[in-house]
Amino acid sequence: MASTQTNTDLSAAVAPAAGSVLISLTPLAQDAFDTTLANLALAFPGENVLVATPDLAPQLSAGGPLRLLPYTPTVISSSPWILTAADYLNTFKLAQENHASSCILLGAESQSLHPEAIRNLARGASSTDLTVARYELGPREGLVNSAILYPVTRALFAARPRYPLAIDLGLSLRMAERLAMTAQRYTASGQTDSFIWPVAEAATANYTMTEVEIGTRTLPQPAAADLNALLSQITGSLFADVDAKANFWQRARVSQSTPPLITLSSPAEAPPDIASMLDSFRLAYTNLQAIWSLVLPPNSLLGLKKLAITQPENFRMPDNLWARIVYDFLLAYRLRTINRGHLLGALTPLYLAWVASHLNLVSSGMAPEKHIQDLAAAFEADKPYLVSRWRWPDRFNP
Amino acid sequence: MWQQVELALRQSAQQVLVKLARFLPGLVALLLAVIILTAIGAGLAALLRRSLTAAKFDERLARSASTTISDWSPAHSPTALIARFAFWACTLIGCFIGISAFDAAYPGDSQISIFVFPYLTHAVGAVLLLIAGTLIARFLERSVLIGAVNAKLQYARFLSLGIKWLVLVLTAAMVLDHLQIGGGVVELAFGILFGGIVLTLALAVGLGSRDIVSRSLERSADLHTGLDPIPTATEYKAPTAAENLRHF
Repeated sequence: MASTQTNTDLSAAVAPAAGSVLISLTPLAQDAFDTTLANLALAFPGENVLVATPDLAPQLSAGGPLRLLPYTPTVISSSPWILTAADYLNTFKLAQENHASSCILLGAESQSLHPEAIRNLARGASSTDLTVARYELGPREGLVNSAILYPVTRALFAARPRYPLAIDLGLSLRMAERLAMTAQRYTASGQTDSFIWPVAEAATANYTMTEVEIGTRTLPQPAAADLNALLSQITGSLFADVDAKANFWQRARVSQSTPPLITLSSPAEAPPDIASMLDSFRLAYTNLQAIWSLVLPPNSLLGLKKLAITQPENFRMPDNLWARIVYDFLLAYRLRTINRGHLLGALTPLYLAWVASHLNLVSSGMAPEKHIQDLAAAFEADKPYLVSRWRWPDRFNP
Repeated sequence: MWQQVELALRQSAQQVLVKLARFLPGLVALLLAVIILTAIGAGLAALLRRSLTAAKFDERLARSASTTISDWSPAHSPTALIARFAFWACTLIGCFIGISAFDAAYPGDSQISIFVFPYLTHAVGAVLLLIAGTLIARFLERSVLIGAVNAKLQYARFLSLGIKWLVLVLTAAMVLDHLQIGGGVVELAFGILFGGIVLTLALAVGLGSRDIVSRSLERSADLHTGLDPIPTATEYKAPTAAENLRHF
């Protein structure tokens, strides 16, 4: 799906109807592609739908509702598990060329999406600028999103979507154009695999956004299992985006809309093993104090000191401590207090400590979603601290 | 006798005063050149800082693929780094012009700049080497420390300190060699120190990893003898709930 430019082959496609929906797919295996097409046919019975695919597409009957737009990606994305700048650019180009009224981007493993979920995305895209998928994940899944991406996006951009980096999106044409313009800045410099933050873009542009329940879906996982590199890549991209949009979020107020329904999940099937994560945190506490002390204020360091001597069964990282840690790392990223690669590397053990604390809370009976919502509320409550230090970084900070 | 002593004193005082009178204009010229060029450097740096900030140079650089300058300016933005470079370049040029003016104004027989210029160039080179070496040592120390901690190596601190001192010792030896101080003694001392640190690190890493090495050797020996291989470190652990975590 990812490419810097598209060589759209329209020879095989039937002339599309203007004003129809464009559905952009990622590269899929033949079985998965057939399943996805079957689901799309079920989702849009009797409607004209354009399906853009980088795969070799079979000829469909002229009377069917699906019109295939095969195109040849010139550059294959090295991050097929997530939507990258090239994906947004390709989708908008295809939508513009075919006069589509709205677009739907379906990430990898799209064959696992229910037809009803796809239809909901299309319905959302026809009425709002950005429609974001909301997945039903277990308590041990999507942890980076729960720990950093969702709370930061909600607090700073006053946006409620639970998955700011969702891989299934519905876009109005103007939203697709805005995302493509942002993406073009990256693809022009050869960074086709850069992440784009659609929720932050929509919030900044004051576009409407909504969230639709997708239910269960197979979420693709990154090929490389190196947590440090991936966490640095994602948090670095988020922090850079926050830095670029500072003029907006310093003015944006905390969202007043109704919080999403808290679903009580079933208890975990086995008690979590947090020993290795705690070992990582304690080892880091022993060795990285000199680096952390450049980034974190004394109060946070004291909180970490208490955590380092806490017994595993009582290990709880307070929500306000984690919020303060993330905000201080964000500030250090902006101020370049230390090298950015070092900074993001030093965040990994702290993130693992948060994961251990979260798993402990969940195993003690707390609903995971309630903890995530409490955490997001703590980020919102601490936002004035971030704004204050962003504006006056040299002010005394105990 | 006292008359001769008085005469000698008077003559020497007169000679010193005459030399000082000839020396002062050159000194004033040197100081003026340094001060003026420093002021120009400060103005140029301020202008650069303002124009680059207005052009959002830092943001553009951060967005582009190359982040090399950012990597080497840990505490400041690339804009600040460029402005500072311009300032110090002007100051350095001022020093050169000042010494040249001093040499031209000084009517003595000895050409000072012939001796001072090469040594000053070496001294500047040595200072640059020292700064670069210190920056590289700090960068590598932090890189190794964070990487080793995230790889859960218990001897992370020791490893990072070893790397830091390796680079610092190498830098010190290069600086002294550049200044032509010490000669063979520096080379000998450097060899001993460098070799000592490498040996210490090798022993530390070897002793710290002896369990892994012994398991690996036992495994290969078992494979040769046809016995069931001893499971590797990862195979020793039963899969736990923590391994089922999905961070993304």
